[in-house]
Amino acid sequence: MTSDVLPPRTRAPGSRAPRSRAALRGLVVGAVLAVALLVLRAVSATWGADALPDRIRDFVTLSVSVVIESLPFVFLGILISVVVRFWVPDHVIHRIMPRNPALRRVVISLVGVLLPVCECGNVPLARGFMMKGFSVPEAMTFLLAAPILNPVTIVTTYQAFGWNDGILIGRIAGGFVIANLVGWLFSRHPRPELLLTPAFEEACRVGDDDGHGHGRAGQLTKLRRGVVAFADETSTMLPALIVGSAIAGAIQVGLSRDVLTALGGNPIWSVLALMILAFVIAICSNVDAFFILAFGSTFLPGGVVAFLVFGAMVDVKMITLLRTTFTTGALVRLVAVVALASLALGFGVNLLA
Amino acid sequence: MRDRLLTRWRGILLSLVGIVAIIWLAVTGQLGLYIHPRYYEFTVVMAVLAGVVVLAAFSVVPGAGEGEGEHDGHADHEHPPAAPGPRRRRDTVWAVAAGVVIAATVGALLIVPPSTLTTATVDQRDLNASAAVTDTGATETLVGSDTSGFTIKDWASLLRQGAGEDYFAGKTATLTGFVTPDPDAPEDVFYVARFVVTCCAVDAQPVGVPVYLPGWKDSYAVDSWVEASGTFGTNPGTASAQAIVFEPAEITPVDQPAEPYVY
Repeated sequence: MTSDVLPPRTRAPGSRAPRSRAALRGLVVGAVLAVALLVLRAVSATWGADALPDRIRDFVTLSVSVVIESLPFVFLGILISVVVRFWVPDHVIHRIMPRNPALRRVVISLVGVLLPVCECGNVPLARGFMMKGFSVPEAMTFLLAAPILNPVTIVTTYQAFGWNDGILIGRIAGGFVIANLVGWLFSRHPRPELLLTPAFEEACRVGDDDGHGHGRAGQLTKLRRGVVAFADETSTMLPALIVGSAIAGAIQVGLSRDVLTALGGNPIWSVLALMILAFVIAICSNVDAFFILAFGSTFLPGGVVAFLVFGAMVDVKMITLLRTTFTTGALVRLVAVVALASLALGFGVNLLA
Repeated sequence: MRDRLLTRWRGILLSLVGIVAIIWLAVTGQLGLYIHPRYYEFTVVMAVLAGVVVLAAFSVVPGAGEGEGEHDGHADHEHPPAAPGPRRRRDTVWAVAAGVVIAATVGALLIVPPSTLTTATVDQRDLNASAAVTDTGATETLVGSDTSGFTIKDWASLLRQGAGEDYFAGKTATLTGFVTPDPDAPEDVFYVARFVVTCCAVDAQPVGVPVYLPGWKDSYAVDSWVEASGTFGTNPGTASAQAIVFEPAEITPVDQPAEPYVY
């Protein structure tokens, strides 16, 4: 084992100095790079944006807005996931969770109440949970339920719609049922670990991250490993987030919204059209209620519920983020089940409302 | 090990680029170009927090690569020591792809100057279609209130809801927005428009007040910002679907305001 799980006093005198020098050098390099990037930004900001054609300019603006909107949530998700991995002991989780798998998933689908991160922040968090021993179906249940069953989303949906037309109830109940349905379906899979990308599966198998070190040295090691884990998770998540945002931006520029909104008044088409809108627009579940409220009077309530449920669970940006963890085949099945269930939910609400 | 190191730096670099972009936008007061003001604090706090971790990563990760990774057990599991041929090629492809993503991110976040959405997006999103401007309840409260604080969004909702000529008679307004042509009568009518943002620029909905001014294109460029003051009246043109238009007494070109969107 390494010198750094030993108490500092027994450490060989020579081993510490080079590391701290390297650490200092790294810090200086980082600071210099940050300043250089700031200078680059300040200089380039004085160039006119008019040189670019309008469409390209809007494509950049739209994609950047998705990145800037979701980046803080992804950071938050990664930070919480690192804390869960390194600082929450395994037995705490095991003691709280019920033994029965279905009950476990029910409890897991309510975890979002405690951790109100947006859906994009939930992906790193779910990865952290899986490294901590959650099964694949459990992680999926969490991923689908948490964006809807969390206080921020419920409050904003209530602010936007109140109790009108069963939209709030439809969203909460529908989200809960669909998340548990998907969890149950995938729990029937004979070998759920095949649903994971090989790289992530490998990481899970090795990932005994409880960090058995105690005392000050143990904490320092944990802190260092936590920072490394942050670097690893951002390396996986951020490229996916950026590609997803670029796709969302490109679709926004290329696709005229009139077509989708024109379909919104038809009982059948409104549900489909709003699900497509939810898929391409890729906004956070915490605020999508306000967005769709802006269209509220033109759409039927079933379409709105389908938008609020489907969009919170799946969208272009989420697909690229989820692809870091799940295989394409697993994602196709996941999206198909969620889409069909949301469709049924939307039609049901339209019939009742 | 080397590959692993490069893989790890990808996230640190991308984080740093994002953090620098957010901090710079916040300091120069331009975050509003991309997100709703209710997210300002959260975004800045998370950027600063992540910034601290990223700086820590700069000092920790090189060490982890040289020493810690080997005995840590979990650091270099993705790459077996001797990578076979096809795997190495795939790694190269991924490294190149990562390089492209990083370069594109630097380009989009740090090189292209920040800007608002343009008329190209207005065309995509049907001006005044959103019910933010067609919500009857909100319009009813508007009708009785003092018009001096009205935004373009308020005026647009009144027009959209058909508040009627009686209501508009004698009302004066000063509107600041960007110029965008009326799709039905692009020669005679333009809109003084703004985007309404609920979350971030992706969901921006254009709203605007029509102005009847034949040959306006000679004086005002599309997407340029103007301040127009005047009254309302019936639309003398026939091509446009608008019954009531703004009759400006004066239109002056202005700089884009610090908060170009309305909420």
